[in-house]
Amino acid sequence: MNCRIVPSICSYCGTGCGVLFLVVDGRLMGTLPMKTHPVNEGKLCIKGWNLHEYVNSFIRLKSPLLKKDGRFRKCTWEEAIGFTADRLRSIVREHGPDSVGVLVSAKMSNEENYLAQKFARVVIGTNNVDHCARL
Amino acid sequence: MHDDVKNQVKEMLNQDVVDLFLAYRMMDGHPLPFAFSRENIEEVEDLVTGPARYPLEKLALEILKIHPEATLGILARECDQRALNVLSTWNQLEAGRVKTIRLSCCPSNLKEHSDCSYLEPHVSGSCKTELGFEFGAKTEDLEALAPERRFSRWMYEFEKCIKCYGCRNICPVCFCRECSLEHPDLIGTGPLPPEVPLFHLVRAVHMAGRCIDCGLCEDACPAEIPLRLLYGKVNEIVKEVFGYETGTSPGQSPFQVLGTEMMPEPL
Ligand code: SF4
Ligand code: SF4
Ligand code: SF4
Repeated sequence: MNCRIVPSICSYCGTGCGVLFLVVDGRLMGTLPMKTHPVNEGKLCIKGWNLHEYVNSFIRLKSPLLKKDGRFRKCTWEEAIGFTADRLRSIVREHGPDSVGVLVSAKMSNEENYLAQKFARVVIGTNNVDHCARL
Repeated sequence: MHDDVKNQVKEMLNQDVVDLFLAYRMMDGHPLPFAFSRENIEEVEDLVTGPARYPLEKLALEILKIHPEATLGILARECDQRALNVLSTWNQLEAGRVKTIRLSCCPSNLKEHSDCSYLEPHVSGSCKTELGFEFGAKTEDLEALAPERRFSRWMYEFEKCIKCYGCRNICPVCFCRECSLEHPDLIGTGPLPPEVPLFHLVRAVHMAGRCIDCGLCEDACPAEIPLRLLYGKVNEIVKEVFGYETGTSPGQSPFQVLGTEMMPEPL
């Protein structure tokens, strides 16, 4: 019997509330607010309280999907990234780099957001970068 | 005192009295609930008794859903002990499944500290003081108010509710498989603002003979609604009318409507 209580950060929004996950035999059983966390001081919203439900949800996507002939089908990461890169490349070639915009998210870490803007500016060549927290 | 507790925990684990022992451990500077085991007995050295409180007995129930044959140890403050009593009264916990090491948490001049985050002072803002109830208000304070004033203050408090269900989720004695607060024919999930005061009154009625006054719901409420005060009043009535003290009186609650069969929630 293996039981762990794992501290983490809620992945739903950019607030960054502290949460605890109850993990029994590798299975995520529940979420609790972290009571001493400076951000949420032991409180959570309804989304945070249910983090374990979406991790365990049977409709959760576990692999990328590619739309073909109007229908989504499972594919590998190589296929998905390859397809996206090809499309981006051809859009930039035809319409210029400013035809692309990159939207980043408060749910990502600072480092991931940094990488995304770097990708927009250096790889694609546009300053069209925006963030959902700027609403 | 901590060494004493640590030795007892080690002994219980080493002598196979319990499979896991639930207490607290400092991790990344936070006192977090932790399941100590025989395999990692050296971790018991990091055991702490407070000050944060979590519903350890609720974690125990979750573990027992997967391992119904396990025996668990719990570091039990007075509120944990009352919660365990209620859980066995309501047939949620088989006798002997949980062993406790009791911890006196009451504040006293003779002790350096008391192990309870609830005792940290809370300052009420001007709006709360003006329109609602101050932190730490007592039922007597409320009863001194005219009924209309009391009602409008309660409504001010209830209207802040964001229906996060945190009060129910953290409550050690909210164990129902189907909860009235989520049932589509009763309160139901979804629309905000919630139906006030119905949402809170339904829960208040359910806490009769059940709430052990641990205050975890109030701690978890993002809207800082004085829930403990509400359920405290409900149980004052239970005591007056039925002579039943929730969590300490032996025997079944006067509101026991469930059968005696053990029905842990299916996975
Ligand atoms: S004080 Fe709140 S959390 Fe504690 S038993 Fe009562 S209702 Fe449940
Ligand atoms: S006691 Fe009431 S509020 Fe608590 S889980 Fe049961 S139905 Fe829900
Ligand atoms: S914890 Fe507070 S805000 Fe959340 S549902 Fe309960 S009363 Fe409402």
